[in-house]
Amino acid sequence: MSMRSQVYEWDSTGMTVATQVGQRTSIFVGGVGNNITKPAETTATEFVVIEDIATTPSLGCWAGVADNTVIRGLLVDATVGTAGLAGPRSYVQVRINTTDYFLDPDNIPNDGIPGAASPYPRSINFQPAFNLYPDVYVLPGQVWDVLVTFYNSGAFVTTTSAAGELMCFVKYTLYDGPDALIANKLLEMGISINPGNVDWYKRSLLQAQA
Amino acid sequence: MSMRSQVYEWSNLQTSSNQLRRLSTDQPAQVVGNREYDIFTGGIGNNITKPAETTATQFIVIEDIAASPVISGAVQIRINTTDYFQNPDVTNMDGIPGLASPYPRGANSTLDLTAVDATTVGSENILKSFDLYPDVYVLPGQTFQILYLTPSGTTTDATSTEVVSCFVKYTLYDGPDALIANKLLELGVTINPNNVDWYKRSLIEQQQRSRVAAAAGGQA
Repeated sequence: MSMRSQVYEWDSTGMTVATQVGQRTSIFVGGVGNNITKPAETTATEFVVIEDIATTPSLGCWAGVADNTVIRGLLVDATVGTAGLAGPRSYVQVRINTTDYFLDPDNIPNDGIPGAASPYPRSINFQPAFNLYPDVYVLPGQVWDVLVTFYNSGAFVTTTSAAGELMCFVKYTLYDGPDALIANKLLEMGISINPGNVDWYKRSLLQAQA
Repeated sequence: MSMRSQVYEWSNLQTSSNQLRRLSTDQPAQVVGNREYDIFTGGIGNNITKPAETTATQFIVIEDIAASPVISGAVQIRINTTDYFQNPDVTNMDGIPGLASPYPRGANSTLDLTAVDATTVGSENILKSFDLYPDVYVLPGQTFQILYLTPSGTTTDATSTEVVSCFVKYTLYDGPDALIANKLLELGVTINPNNVDWYKRSLIEQQQRSRVAAAAGGQA
């Protein structure tokens, strides 16, 4: 099992909304929601290809929508700073070592991919407009993180978040051992790293030996 | 990381005008009818520090644009001073309607502006009927704008106006990959990550062949 499709789902359950609103939070080690034991990193014999990221969607609407209205499963709060918006207004950014992946056109890092463009979960009401292509490569020895930021505190029923109110999703493929070496080789050759191309490289090695 | 998928989302939510960062205190701002708003530096909603432009070592390929499907909003691309979308008689137009390229995909197109609750918000799911293909190229040194326009506009009252959004998805080629993108453009080959990789591979293969030929020549 040296090429493995992996996912990580983060749910903000129990998060204090007022503390985290407008703050970047790591979905791995941010201290809220479900976390892992240490920052995500690749060892010398691992190669990670991030293929999809997504977060809870939001929907702009009429600012006169009544307080506590639910539109398409998303809560609307009619107070200042939250009027006219259903959902948490959340964004998700990828960071490799200390470099943010998504930038504004003036080359300044931004909040990342909006949940409205890459929703999680996907539904008829919220469909993806964004496809993470080309993929994001995490080379051996690099530390990576996925950071979520939300701005609409009115999307939460109480002062602490409940299950499903703010979520993130990341899908990646982990190449380990010999397959990580092949992934590095493909990178040198300018070939996209995916399981099909790794298998192709293995077959071409076998054919060269025969 | 010299080829990067990028997005920019704009909405008329702000705490103050010319705002660079999103804030948790943002509220809807008025969008005046029949006025083009640059989503990067238009003064309302979230903006960036300077007009969007490519440096001498950058190449941008715009792959998707979209706008809220409400209040007849439309979105146009302007490269330097030239609008991309035109009428058949080569006159100016508003751009791609939000109904054709909705953001978010699956959003509703109508709102009852007098008494909105969960039951009166439009129940339809607008899907896209427009695909930005071929892509739009922004060459090194060019300035580009994404312009949002709605004929009707929104109201002035922050508690009764409409929240509208725009979305643009593009790929940024930087450094050597921007040079390759220029080369592909000269060759008439579509610029996408696959073709940039293909060009790199062909360069490597060419070098290898030259090396083998040189070694063979040395032995002879």
